[in-house]
Amino acid sequence: MSTEDHLSLLQGTLDLLILRTLQAGPAHGHAIVKAIEQGSDDVLLVEQGSLYPALHRLIKRGWITYEPGTSENNRSAKFYRLTPKGRKQLAIETSKWEKLARAMARVLRPA
Amino acid sequence: MTKHPLSDLDAEIRDHIERETRDNIDRGMAPDDARCAALRKFGNPALVLEDARAVWIPAWLDHLRQDARYAVRMLRRQPGFSIAAIATLALGIGLTTAVFSLLHNVLFKPLPFADSDRIVIVSETWRNSFGSASAGHFHDWTEQATVWEATAAGQAATFNLAEAGDPERVAGLRVTPGYFDVAYMAPAAGRYFSAADVAADARLVVLSHGLWLRRFDADPSIVGKTIRLGGEPHLVVGVTPATYALTDPSRSGVVGGFSSQLWTPLVIPPERRANYGNHAFLVLGKLKPGVALAAAQADLERVTSGIARRNPEEMEGRGVIAQALPELLVRGFRTQFWLLFAISGAVLTIGCVNIGSLLLARATMRRREIAIRASLGGGKARIVRQLLVESLVLALPGGAAAIGVAAAFIQYFVTRGPAFVPRLRDAGLQIEVLAFATMVTILAAIAFGLVPALRAARLDLQRSLRDAGKPAWSGRGHDRVRSVMVVAEIATTVVLLAGTGLLLRSASRLSSVPFGFDAQHVLTARIALPAARYQEAPAIADAYRRILEDMRASRGVEHAGAATTVPLIGGSPDAAVQVEGRVVAVGSQPSPHIRLFTDGYFAAMGIAIVRGRAPQAADIAATAPPVVVINERLAAALWPGEDAIGKRLSTWTADTNPEWRVVVGVAADVRTFGQAEAVPLELSIPYTQAPSGAWNAFQRGMVLVIRTRDVWPADQVAPLRRAVAAVDATVPLYDVRPMDQVMVSLTATRRFYLRLILLLAAAGLGLAMLGTYGVIAYFVADRTPEIGLRMAIGARPGEVVGMVMQQGLRLLALGAAIGVPAALLLSRAIRSLLFEIEPTDPVSHVAAVALLMAMTALACALPAARAARVDPITALRHD
Repeated sequence: MSTEDHLSLLQGTLDLLILRTLQAGPAHGHAIVKAIEQGSDDVLLVEQGSLYPALHRLIKRGWITYEPGTSENNRSAKFYRLTPKGRKQLAIETSKWEKLARAMARVLRPA
Repeated sequence: MTKHPLSDLDAEIRDHIERETRDNIDRGMAPDDARCAALRKFGNPALVLEDARAVWIPAWLDHLRQDARYAVRMLRRQPGFSIAAIATLALGIGLTTAVFSLLHNVLFKPLPFADSDRIVIVSETWRNSFGSASAGHFHDWTEQATVWEATAAGQAATFNLAEAGDPERVAGLRVTPGYFDVAYMAPAAGRYFSAADVAADARLVVLSHGLWLRRFDADPSIVGKTIRLGGEPHLVVGVTPATYALTDPSRSGVVGGFSSQLWTPLVIPPERRANYGNHAFLVLGKLKPGVALAAAQADLERVTSGIARRNPEEMEGRGVIAQALPELLVRGFRTQFWLLFAISGAVLTIGCVNIGSLLLARATMRRREIAIRASLGGGKARIVRQLLVESLVLALPGGAAAIGVAAAFIQYFVTRGPAFVPRLRDAGLQIEVLAFATMVTILAAIAFGLVPALRAARLDLQRSLRDAGKPAWSGRGHDRVRSVMVVAEIATTVVLLAGTGLLLRSASRLSSVPFGFDAQHVLTARIALPAARYQEAPAIADAYRRILEDMRASRGVEHAGAATTVPLIGGSPDAAVQVEGRVVAVGSQPSPHIRLFTDGYFAAMGIAIVRGRAPQAADIAATAPPVVVINERLAAALWPGEDAIGKRLSTWTADTNPEWRVVVGVAADVRTFGQAEAVPLELSIPYTQAPSGAWNAFQRGMVLVIRTRDVWPADQVAPLRRAVAAVDATVPLYDVRPMDQVMVSLTATRRFYLRLILLLAAAGLGLAMLGTYGVIAYFVADRTPEIGLRMAIGARPGEVVGMVMQQGLRLLALGAAIGVPAALLLSRAIRSLLFEIEPTDPVSHVAAVALLMAMTALACALPAARAARVDPITALRHD
């Protein structure tokens, strides 16, 4: 059970990061991972494969969708993008996360 | 349309890794290292695929998968139990499914004809029986009743077919053109004959699919060709589809001629239009849409009472009955099939109870595991679900194996079952049958899994955890449930055995009924002379005389004779009898079955003449005064308390003028139509003195009967063929069989059912005894310390055995107390299958309980012996 809790925390974080990344516009899987890595100055190193189950989870919830496209080397690739519902969810999740982060900060470094 | 996101995930992953590799190379890595690094960073692609897939699996399904995986592990750990349970289920479900396939194909499925639920058979009734109708009735019913869309009359006929191969006798039906409107299916080739076709030239024929395949090699250009039937050319107009015949016509026929091999037009001469006394036709009709059977019956009664008003004497006691064809076709088998279904269901139930009982015992042993799961927060529903999934995991392989068992049983039913059951040969594993098997499998899993699962969930956690290591004194609750289960098994078995006992006793009663003739050393064969060359009675009689004279000269032949109907072979018309010097209302005269016979017939058939004599060749010359032989029943009916010999009677006269015939002999009563049928009234007329029109009614056919001495009946087949060929080489001999074989095939159906029911009852009994053994063995294991204690303080082994046996007998007594009343009640349902045995027959019921008592004692003996050998020291230390 403890591992499950741990995973779900990680999942939630990754979900939020994906939503945040897609706010900038549609992207394919590899680009999303790169954006997360670079955006966090390579602090947040996700195991790249775990991106895909997370993407599917978000598709299932209706927060993102995808369309087939062609990448630069003429391969078919999927471009993921936010749905309106996902955009709303991103706002909710972000504020939740900020609350959590502020609370954590207060506890860990009491002024 | 967008594809599912999973559809090209693996390509997407490959693409991802390649991009990463390229990025790495751009950063200056060597290509191999770049790829390795990319792979490392990505993680296990197989795992990613699985995780992504898992996203799309609903949660309940995922839980189910986990439960199933766990259940499989549990079952693997106890292979003995699993195999026994799966085998029991395979047998029970397989049998039930096979019998369901019979029900589905024979009883439930609509007939293949268009709107078959509107097809009815109309018969004239006389007292309690119903039968063929007269030409007059057919026409009046057709014209005056308002319920019909179409009607038809038919008359069974056999034809000598000499086309494409050896001459052969094929069973067919002469029908009015409406027949194919009443029972319509699109023809496989050509068309059916219409009224206009028949009016132009009636020498037409519609072939059955089977005959077309067999005799004409499925010739695609058969339509329009001419074939010779009985020497006459007939134009083939069409071929019926394969499913038009409801049984394999070469094996057996069914009601309504729906197994004919061919159809030719029936033309009823205008002068017979007003004939209401000669009951010769099968009448069938198709109701208008929306007309209920009862309405049709009422309308036909109106028309029939009109006929009766116009012919009050002739119609005395006569009425009409309209019966739905689908119902009429299966009437004779419905009870048997449902009985088989009930019995296989009972066997399955007993099997499920056994498995449930074993699962309960196992649940007791698993108390600790279940308690731990419960205390860790697995909710009760979760535990019940887990255990139910375990039952399902047990049931599914059982159900799968059952399909194989069902296929084997169905094969057995189709090849060995009664051939005259319509559409029995269609029985198979159709989608409906498979759906039934699936449903039964799931129901069985719930049936044997629910009680153990619910009990496990109700478990007292604390006590279970505390006691788990100890012997199961606390398992009393389970013990009681298992005892209830065994009582139910025993009660079911009592019903099963009592029913089987009734059927067995009925069969033995039936087989001890004397036939009244001697079937040993007798060869029978049928033959019919074609109308084209044998128009006149003397020509016909002469042909038979020559064949028989030839046979009498053959070595080893003791007697040779022939008759139009012999016991167990062929049907015969009946006709009213008028007694000289007595005036009786026309409708209330006895109506015996009429046969024509040759000299030597009674001796060849081994039928005793109890009074008078069997007419010899000289007595029966065409010119001699007409004579008859009647059977004892007819003699008693016509001249009760008097000697019939020398009395005169008249029958089958074309007009109202009597043709007096002298009774010269009274023959012993014979069960002409089988042991289960009453002795009919019978009247035999010498073939040389046939009433006018009689030969046509018999299609100029006879059954030849050859009694041999010192040689096998089969040795006479070749001489018989030669004798027939010497008279007419184009006439086929058919149904050539020794008489004892005819008798065997007559009882084959009864023996088939009986064997099947015995097998099922034995399976049920065996399973019930296994269940009893299980509970008693558990009882002994459970009480081992108590038994040890008793023996330590002086109980003798005999007393211990007594204690165990008492347990078993208590279960038996309870089971019998429920089973016997149930058996007395339920056996009424098979009354129609019983012959001279009451459903409450005490012998059957007592024997059932006695057998069960003996078997229970046997089932208890082993655990009892084990109890008696308990070593007090070990048993007490064990606690």
